[in-house]
Amino acid sequence: MSQSEISITGEPVSDATCRFTVDRPVYPDKSFAFLSKEAADNSPLASRLFEIDGITRVVISHDQVTVNKSAQADWPVIGKSIGTAIRAHLASDDPAVSDAAWENVPSSEEMREQVQHVLDTDINPSVAEHGGVIRLIDVKENQVFIQMGGGCQGCGQADVTLKFGIENSIRAAVPGVGDILDVTDHASGRNPYYTPSTK
Amino acid sequence: MPRVLLLLPTTTYRTEAFVGAATRLGVDVTVVSEQPNTLARLNPAGLLTLDFKDSQKAAQRVVEFSTSHGIDAVVPVDSQVVVVAAAISAALGLRHNSIESVTAAHDKHLMRERFKQAGVPAPQSTLCSLDEDRAALAGQVDFPCVVKPLSLAASQGVIRADDESQFIRAVGRLQAILERQHGMPTASCSTSVSACADKRGRMSDSSSTSSRQFLVEQFVGGPEVALEGMLTRGELRVLALFDKPDPLDGPFFEETIYVTPSRLAAEKQKAIAQCAEQAARALGLTEGPIHAEVRLAKDGPSVIEVNSRSIGGLCSRMLRFETGMSLEELIIRHALEEDFELPERQSQATGVMMIPTARAGRLIEVHGLDEAKAVSGIEDVTISAHLGQRLVPLPEGSRYLGFIFARADSPEAVEAALRESHSKLKFVIEPTNDCTREGGRTSPAEESTGAV
Repeated sequence: MSQSEISITGEPVSDATCRFTVDRPVYPDKSFAFLSKEAADNSPLASRLFEIDGITRVVISHDQVTVNKSAQADWPVIGKSIGTAIRAHLASDDPAVSDAAWENVPSSEEMREQVQHVLDTDINPSVAEHGGVIRLIDVKENQVFIQMGGGCQGCGQADVTLKFGIENSIRAAVPGVGDILDVTDHASGRNPYYTPSTK
Repeated sequence: MPRVLLLLPTTTYRTEAFVGAATRLGVDVTVVSEQPNTLARLNPAGLLTLDFKDSQKAAQRVVEFSTSHGIDAVVPVDSQVVVVAAAISAALGLRHNSIESVTAAHDKHLMRERFKQAGVPAPQSTLCSLDEDRAALAGQVDFPCVVKPLSLAASQGVIRADDESQFIRAVGRLQAILERQHGMPTASCSTSVSACADKRGRMSDSSSTSSRQFLVEQFVGGPEVALEGMLTRGELRVLALFDKPDPLDGPFFEETIYVTPSRLAAEKQKAIAQCAEQAARALGLTEGPIHAEVRLAKDGPSVIEVNSRSIGGLCSRMLRFETGMSLEELIIRHALEEDFELPERQSQATGVMMIPTARAGRLIEVHGLDEAKAVSGIEDVTISAHLGQRLVPLPEGSRYLGFIFARADSPEAVEAALRESHSKLKFVIEPTNDCTREGGRTSPAEESTGAV
């Protein structure tokens, strides 16, 4: 297979994130999120990508590779390197994600149970003080989807609670968790605990 | 990995932008708020609670905290926390503005005094007290004038008066606003206590005096602009100059549309930047973001105010710099004393509209959101008020209904897109007795169109 025959399309998700769609499966029917270079050890494609200056996060999912970069890195520059790395990987026989990466990761069902336990015992009793509730919506591979309700929905401090309370607790208790994604429709929150103002 | 102390008041609009920026930069973060996060016990290194009103005590607490978690930068996200941030930075020996400078920038009277001493062109003003005889005061005022609290933000409490009777009514209305602010526990840190911070950031008992003080300021006619800049060792770099195409002639001074790049002639833009730099120097500001409001009077620029903070609300979303860097990433990197060239703003014209609260009441429904988002050039429309929220317009209120963001080939196209998008929005607001401060009307739900 010639590397030049592989078609890759880059689609910006935000200033810091770009999704690269490949014309063939990279990691068939599975996904894995790498949040650091260290986590990518022994996973050839992710390792290749983390070798590029400025890459901070990699999610490999079927025919897509979603990459986050630091503010210093420039997409036009690193985008070419990302394409080259993906093509080089596909030309090899290496797996996109090594079996070793999965060794410490519980199955989706086990991860669901463990995350739910953290929510039930650590998180929800505390956020209930502000009328809030955190629901586990789904676990796909090592990605966790949660929803914030009650006083947390639309709360001006929801981001702080998510990133520095919920994420922190889940990662400390459950090994191998990749992205923790908030799927809340915050705009529909009717009773947020904190409402922003310009005071 | 460096650790950044993010000072995030619980009611700031700036949480998402700063938390997102810190995450993208991959720095360790400790979030500091004035109220404990419900999950603080689960992450004591990441979530801290401080009394923002007592800068000295807060600084002492952070010094203790830093013995186990080293702090490399302190970033105040809005004007409520600039004084305490300066005190903490001073205690830790980090890059910072002096406490005196940020105190002056946070207090409109002190600011005017510094401007006067340094010869910065600015409206003439007089410090007055709510306890003075208003009829006598009115007799001494040159009209038109502007009655203004010392430290509220977003034009809250700012009222124009063209004659003595309007002046007396305006002062009465301002008194009610200030008393309400002091009566509300969540607002306690936003009053003018900073005016009373001493050189070490300690607050004195005179805060109760300053909360009864206000400025009577000469009204300066002409268009207004906003300048967003970054100070490094006292040198100003202009990040963006925004035109405000809607006239701000009163009686209230509602901010609506900001568009950059400015359509003013290059020489006028240069004069504005020089004026803002002179004003920052007069205050003693040397580091970090500034946000300046400048009027273009007949005889040249006149500085309304300079704040030691970045642009408020969600407005910073429209600013993007080379390599996609956000304003907040730039501010954090500057605070970390990273050695980097400040990047240029991406050149495409951009703008934001702060959706004004047209009337008091309870927000029942919002119509036309999809149509507003579909307007050519519109990037996003965010309704930040929640359904059921009690709305209070200026001069009593301090919240926006939401924000409209646009990007287009020219400033004219940006402005047109913002206006068209706004015209598609309809807010159903149910008047309530407690919200309609003047008149107390209780009629059935009314529809408020987006038009200003």
